[in-house]
Amino acid sequence: MIQTIFFSGFMAALIYFFVLAGQTQSPSAWIYAVFLLIIFVQIMRTKQISKYRRIFQSAFAVFFMISFIGILYDVRGSMAITADTTLNAENPFCNIIIPAIMIPYALTKTIIYPGPIIGNFAAVIAMLFIWFIATVTIGKGWCGWVCFYGGWEDAVSRFAKKPRLHVLSHNKDFRAFQFAFLFFIILATVAVMSSVYCEWFCPFKLVTEFAPINNIPTLIATVLFIGLFLGLVIVMPFLTRKRFQCSTLCPFGAFQSLVDRLSGYRLCIDTEKCTGCLKCATACPFCAIDQDTITGKKGRPEITCAKCGECIGVCSSKAIRFEYAFEARKKKDASSCARPEPKTRFGRTVQALLDPQNLFIFSAFTFSVVISSRFVPDAINRIFRLFSGGVL
Amino acid sequence: MSIITSVVEPFGLGLSTGTWCVMYCAPVLLPFLLGRESLSHRKNISLIGLFLGGRLVTYIALGFALGLSGLLVLEFFDPVLARHLSTIAYIFCGMILLSSGFAPRILARLGCGNKTGNAPRCTRARVFSFVSGDRMTALLSGLCVGLHVCPPFWTAAFRSASSGTPLGGAMYFFMFYIGTLPFFIPLLGIPFLARYSGLFKRIARMTQVLVGGYFLIFIGIIPFLFGSK
Repeated sequence: MIQTIFFSGFMAALIYFFVLAGQTQSPSAWIYAVFLLIIFVQIMRTKQISKYRRIFQSAFAVFFMISFIGILYDVRGSMAITADTTLNAENPFCNIIIPAIMIPYALTKTIIYPGPIIGNFAAVIAMLFIWFIATVTIGKGWCGWVCFYGGWEDAVSRFAKKPRLHVLSHNKDFRAFQFAFLFFIILATVAVMSSVYCEWFCPFKLVTEFAPINNIPTLIATVLFIGLFLGLVIVMPFLTRKRFQCSTLCPFGAFQSLVDRLSGYRLCIDTEKCTGCLKCATACPFCAIDQDTITGKKGRPEITCAKCGECIGVCSSKAIRFEYAFEARKKKDASSCARPEPKTRFGRTVQALLDPQNLFIFSAFTFSVVISSRFVPDAINRIFRLFSGGVL
Repeated sequence: MSIITSVVEPFGLGLSTGTWCVMYCAPVLLPFLLGRESLSHRKNISLIGLFLGGRLVTYIALGFALGLSGLLVLEFFDPVLARHLSTIAYIFCGMILLSSGFAPRILARLGCGNKTGNAPRCTRARVFSFVSGDRMTALLSGLCVGLHVCPPFWTAAFRSASSGTPLGGAMYFFMFYIGTLPFFIPLLGIPFLARYSGLFKRIARMTQVLVGGYFLIFIGIIPFLFGSK
């Protein structure tokens, strides 16, 4: 209880600062601020991390789309990328291609994306800064908590109560393919010095911006974009209850898996408590736990774990928990995740406040608040405007 | 041509712009080398050597042809032709990478395959095994990569054509090629990386197939048939 009050108080202050400050007259900002606070309090109070995280992320995905498309219409009158925006480097920079721009930059000192380098809206430097801070704090938790694209899959994956397609035995293949796709995107980008992912393989063009169809190659690309969105973001998550695109195709997800070692938090599987029921493996939306992880008593999920907390919720023996990265590195017994039990009430209170799970949730949710703070109130405003007879 | 223009200048050109060559060659070479079974230092060197040998053959042939044709050829050797040349090179390169990537499956499909690792017994499988083998893949992909027209390649083409003699043109491209070689030295360390788990090799093979597919379809067939985006 004490940690719920403690962290919720801090979160309320953060929400005020990022969502309400300067907008206290805006009903949409108040609506969103209250929504965020309720979500956070519910996560802390009920410990149903993934349930409330999903509600936030799904809502953010939809509102982000509404706001982003609205802004595009305000600025250029359509969702289509024009020759002018490309020539003037005005296309909003997207975090997914961060891994693809690094090597071309290192080799030629050129940022191959036609987007703004500086500025406060989706500029390259701003996105790189956000990515760096996210990486050293929550690591791949970005995918599990903040990503405004992943929310689509998270929502769709819950439409069916049970998976129609069981893919547990293919988890390793999916992981291998995701890394292969990342290396392919990097190498192909280096070869042609343009953003190959954005040109041909981005499933999210449908909910952001796209190249106008004015010749056969752009038609083929558009068909691919639609096919990838429908196949990997709608159909496969519905059939498998996995975040399928995130687990198989997203180059940013694969890259975050590789740099996640820089982050401060890990998930630990207590192999002494684990009964081997594989509920966590079946539930994991990122294909980060498979049979070998459990039977091999590895004591942690695979590298692609996004710390979404789904496994913690389904584990009936409470064998999965967060731990600090430094704890994971220095501990000798990999089989146990147990922490020493303090003897005094004060000690227990301090431990509860410094619990890695609480601190991770606080950090990840803070990121979610910061990233969504302008988009969601803007989207709510646009919806209000639409219903009161205006345009989106 | 003086010693400066026929030796020092192309060598300097290669040395100063070799990153471009690496950028064109790395997508082909890296996944190919990393995905090879039991890659010893010797095998690694021989495969890189064959790849670079293929590239050298293309360069010398081009330099010879450009020197023979003289400056007039530049009337025809325009960006459109260069793009077509690159597109065709990508199509062949993609086919080579794909056939090498899918070779075990195709050989098994051919019915007289080498599931046990023995040499295939029927002719068609033997021919396919030879064409898609590691050495032939390295050589053929080197031949194709040599045709990818990059900015320093343009400069070398112009200077070769202006050399006036076929030998002068070939020499220019040869020295340009020599200048780019130091950039390939890091590849000698590939066997240290390839020593890691089988998963690493598997990922490299998948990457090779994806690169091959991308070369063949997205920067090969689509631009060849319909033009670029």
